[in-house]
Amino acid sequence: MKVTLRVWRQTGPDGPGRLVSYEAEVPSTDMSFLELLDTVNEGLIAKGEDAIAFDHDCREGICGMCSQVIDGQPHGPDKAAATCQLHMRRFKDGDVITAEPFRAKAFPVVKDLVVDRSALDRVMTCGGFVSVNTGAAVDANAVLVPKDDAEKAMDAAACIGCGACVAACPNAAAMLFVGAKVSQFALLPQGAPERVRRVLSMRKAMDKEGFGHCSNEAECEAVCPKEVKISNIARLNREFIRALAVSDG
Amino acid sequence: METLARLVTSSIGRKLLVAAVGFLLCGFLMTHLAGNMFLFVGEKAFNTYARVLESNPFLLPIELALLGVILLHAVVALYLNLTSLAARPVGYAMKRSRGGRTWGSATMVYTAVLIGVFLVIHVKTFKYGVRPSPEDLYGLVMSYLQDWRWALFYAVVMAGLGLHLSHGAWSATQTFGIDHPKYTPLIKGAGLAFAVVVAAVFTAIPIWACWFLGGAR
Ligand code: HEM
Ligand code: SF4
Ligand code: FES
Repeated sequence: MKVTLRVWRQTGPDGPGRLVSYEAEVPSTDMSFLELLDTVNEGLIAKGEDAIAFDHDCREGICGMCSQVIDGQPHGPDKAAATCQLHMRRFKDGDVITAEPFRAKAFPVVKDLVVDRSALDRVMTCGGFVSVNTGAAVDANAVLVPKDDAEKAMDAAACIGCGACVAACPNAAAMLFVGAKVSQFALLPQGAPERVRRVLSMRKAMDKEGFGHCSNEAECEAVCPKEVKISNIARLNREFIRALAVSDG
Repeated sequence: METLARLVTSSIGRKLLVAAVGFLLCGFLMTHLAGNMFLFVGEKAFNTYARVLESNPFLLPIELALLGVILLHAVVALYLNLTSLAARPVGYAMKRSRGGRTWGSATMVYTAVLIGVFLVIHVKTFKYGVRPSPEDLYGLVMSYLQDWRWALFYAVVMAGLGLHLSHGAWSATQTFGIDHPKYTPLIKGAGLAFAVVVAAVFTAIPIWACWFLGGAR
């Protein structure tokens, strides 16, 4: 099978960018889309041309490094899958496949399909953690967590920080990501001591990075490879309202 | 003080303002719709209603509050929209919805502008329009709505209003953090039902005025 790739090529952060077409022979439909890009890159390198830069690491859907908007959808057309989990059997002979970088002011393009998502990391440093005293491990049953809360916290903690929610959002908002990160602690007793400070400062960092506002479009939930729900955005809103009400500041 | 600052300077706080004020506007819509029902009863009933309303000493402060509320809703929402445009300076060559958006949510800005333009025209013609006689608001309303072009304009705007509410009503509850595995679908359904009923009953007025009373001038 043969496909045509239309790939966003951009020399650097400020460089001009454009979509460039590549005819690609697909040796096996069982290969992943990223493996196809590897193959195309081998050809480009053999010809002495610049290889297509794209992000990836684990290639098994757990690290959140792979990005790309494929055929207009972050992480491609499959539900609950990251770009690295997209396989060529999803396409037909003769298909034209468009690959673009995630688009957001907070995610500047580094090169080609690679964007800088450290804005999400900076938001995390403003409260996406719990402070604990080091020392002997606490007894497992010393702090009781209701089963339902543990489940919800785990569902929120499934977020791999890929940023697809931002890429899909018509407003380039990061509310699903921040909602997941605030929720995973808000639901657990371990998160309680820093609960107010966390939501206030993560919210502030999120706005500072230049993400848009949430208009409850739910496009984020639909593309999230980890199926993080917008219930977490509702919880983020609740946490924010609560923090406004109880903070002394 | 800091709480207030957080409310008006944060994206979430601003959304809360838009949502809270949106709820107030839904309340206004319901009272306005209820009052307009007197049009169906007849000339005398509607003009009596108008006289009672206009003789209320609190009408002016209420109208000013309403104006403030509408402006707050519009200005903050439009401002948020502008920040979101700035949040994606370079757009996609190809973008496909994954089914999260609805017609209502995808057209919020457009329906908002439509309603805004409508409001100016509406208040100018009905509130500050010249009545056949000082006590005859009914005559003024009918002089417009029995013209099919005005009736059509009203019908189009009401469809836009319905679309706006179809997303707005539910969205405001989500912004307030109201969410429950069982009740969220019910709230969404109720929001949609509210939008359809408000739009349909408002639309019924010009249709009725034009086709049944006016003989489609
Ligand atoms: C068929 C539909 C409608 C009819 C027949 C109608 C009729 C009227 C009339 C007769 C007035 C003047 C009241 C007075 O001067 O005492 C009025 C005022 C007003 N209407 Fe409507 N209306 C309709 C739909 C709407 C909608 C959908 C909205 C909002 C989105 C709206 C917003 C207003 C506002 C803000 C005022 C000014 C209120 C005030 O200053 O007291 N109307 N309407
Ligand atoms: S919420 Fe989902 S889409 Fe957003 S960063 Fe986390 S895993 Fe990616
Ligand atoms: S490469 Fe790790 S999630 Fe795709």
